[in-house]
Amino acid sequence: MLYLQVLVNGVLLGGLYSCIAVGFSLVWGVLNIINILHGSLIILGAYAAYFAFTLLGINPFVFVPLAGLLLFVLGYGLQAGVINRVMGASVLITLTLTFGLNLILENAMILAFKADYRKVVLDPPLGLIEIGTAILPRDRLYAMLLALILVGALYVLLRTTRIGRAIVAVRMDRDAAALMGVNVERIYAVTFGIGAFMAGAAGSLMSVMFPISPLTSVTFLGKAFVICVLGGLGSIPGVMVGGIMLGILESFGALWLGPDYSTTIAFVLLLVLLMFRPTGIMGKRGFD
Amino acid sequence: MKLSPAALLRLLSRFAFALTLAGVSMAAAAQNMILIGAPLPLTGGLAPEGLKLQRGYDLWAEEVNKTGGISVGNARMPVKMVYYDYQSNTPRAVQLAEKLITDDKVNFLFSPFGSGATKAASAVSEKYGVPTIAPTASSVEVYDQHYKNLFGTYTPNSTLTEPIAELVRKNAPQVARVAILARNDLYPLALAEEFERSSKARGLNVVYFEKYAIGTLDHASAITQMRAAKPDWIIATGYINDMVLVHKQMSDQNLRAPVVTMINGPAYQEFIDATGALANNVTTASWWHPAARYTSKDVFKSSENFTNLFRTKYKVEPDFTSAGAAVAGAVLQMAIETAGTLDRDKVRSALRDGKFATFFGPIAFGPEGYANSYTPPVLQIQGGKPVVLVPADIKMADFGLGV
Repeated sequence: MLYLQVLVNGVLLGGLYSCIAVGFSLVWGVLNIINILHGSLIILGAYAAYFAFTLLGINPFVFVPLAGLLLFVLGYGLQAGVINRVMGASVLITLTLTFGLNLILENAMILAFKADYRKVVLDPPLGLIEIGTAILPRDRLYAMLLALILVGALYVLLRTTRIGRAIVAVRMDRDAAALMGVNVERIYAVTFGIGAFMAGAAGSLMSVMFPISPLTSVTFLGKAFVICVLGGLGSIPGVMVGGIMLGILESFGALWLGPDYSTTIAFVLLLVLLMFRPTGIMGKRGFD
Repeated sequence: MKLSPAALLRLLSRFAFALTLAGVSMAAAAQNMILIGAPLPLTGGLAPEGLKLQRGYDLWAEEVNKTGGISVGNARMPVKMVYYDYQSNTPRAVQLAEKLITDDKVNFLFSPFGSGATKAASAVSEKYGVPTIAPTASSVEVYDQHYKNLFGTYTPNSTLTEPIAELVRKNAPQVARVAILARNDLYPLALAEEFERSSKARGLNVVYFEKYAIGTLDHASAITQMRAAKPDWIIATGYINDMVLVHKQMSDQNLRAPVVTMINGPAYQEFIDATGALANNVTTASWWHPAARYTSKDVFKSSENFTNLFRTKYKVEPDFTSAGAAVAGAVLQMAIETAGTLDRDKVRSALRDGKFATFFGPIAFGPEGYANSYTPPVLQIQGGKPVVLVPADIKMADFGLGV
């Protein structure tokens, strides 16, 4: 019974982790940018959901696509206006740029929203579902399902739409894609925008479960890193597997070694994978 | 216009003279003020607590300055607070404590927030011999270095755990199994260990004791384990954000118990706002509550007056952290007035030997440096408000069971 509940906890958390990481993985895989902004974009999405809930009474689950769209616009603008200028440079330059942009965004959020914690309190609470001896909190379950739907939708978008194929083409060979008539700079901006959309959507889902503060962004960024290394940068199924694996590992780690070590386990695993299988479990070069 | 070298020299010398005059007058102004340094966690994980401290200090300084300042011998000297944000980062708090002493030349210091940072920064004030009031450090481990300059206004952790354990024993005899979840941080862990001692001393069985890392977002596994241990009394320690998360995730997994105790968190309005109706019957303890009714010889005159002044200035109820900051100022002020000088040795002696009647309660420091002179209240959330259960003279309600 105990193991079943711990497994359920891990899967629920892991679904959310996938949603946190998929935008980060997409931007890294396609644009070769390690987007340090990603954690702050999640938090910005969470704040948008918080204010939509407290000021306009919009349920954060309903607000998910709107939070995503808001962040898409911001992400598209950032890539088109700023990051595209250094796309030809080494990965260190884009890393430094997103690091700097992150400092600006994080501090702007501290100024605008203050650093104290806020929380969306659904009244009445959504309650629980009991299946046998296992308990599933409805908010986590809905958030996980929505997260997986979003990740699945992104998979379909990349595989079946013109813009999705253009994104994959740019990742595989930027010059050949340009020769085929793909507007590479626009595709970069769209890809970064989609990454930001996923971050905003994840933030809106997170706002129901976790207190929001600009300072939690680094926690989400850390999780995204581990998941990308676990699952590999190459594919969306990899991110899903990596996210759910991390959720389950943290849950069982907390059970066996105590909650104090759950994060340590994730990072030890990250080191082991980097040493023995740096491409991750399902990793390959590029998105397809 | 072209200046000759001689004219340029004259102009520069006048400029230098003006600068010197300005410097002299600034130094004179500084000499007429008492500078008090306080490293604060205004951003970072402890930002809510940092703001509370700053509000307490500001209110105290404002009230003192309204009366013309602190009496030092025959003169009155206004107070100036010097703040720096240490971003909830303890090593930074230590650096800033040193900067306040060496660069800003403050006369006295208030410690950073919490036991851990207080202990770390206390080495700096000891090195420079600066009397330092710690407004939020209650773990005896902070004071085991036997520093002469550190004075804590909180009573030790055991004064929180003992009355709650006694209350549980008397009012909930069915409680036999205790589960404790502690933030792995100096104060919350020391408090949890104190709870373990208080429980065992009453024959209770501690069936679960685990630590969680600072910054943990998901407590689901710990809560699943606690549920399996079937506790009658659940104790969680940490800071507001941790307690909001633990409480929310306890209700996610339908973990209930006759008694649930959380410290620190439920005494703050933010906890009640973030947890809603689920907070009912959660017990906690703190070192002060607005229900306190002390008459004092400090600048605030009484607990009631402090509460009214705070409410008027900030439009919120004061809690124990803001009150703790204000009383740090009040105690320092009374010690300076007793000493009649800003001489650090004399002020230190006045702090060590004094008995201070404050709005926070009677404060006197024991040989270790922490207060040992008052009884902190035990509180419970009832009807969306914290009410006092103990001590009897300010009791507001009976102990409620079932969370």
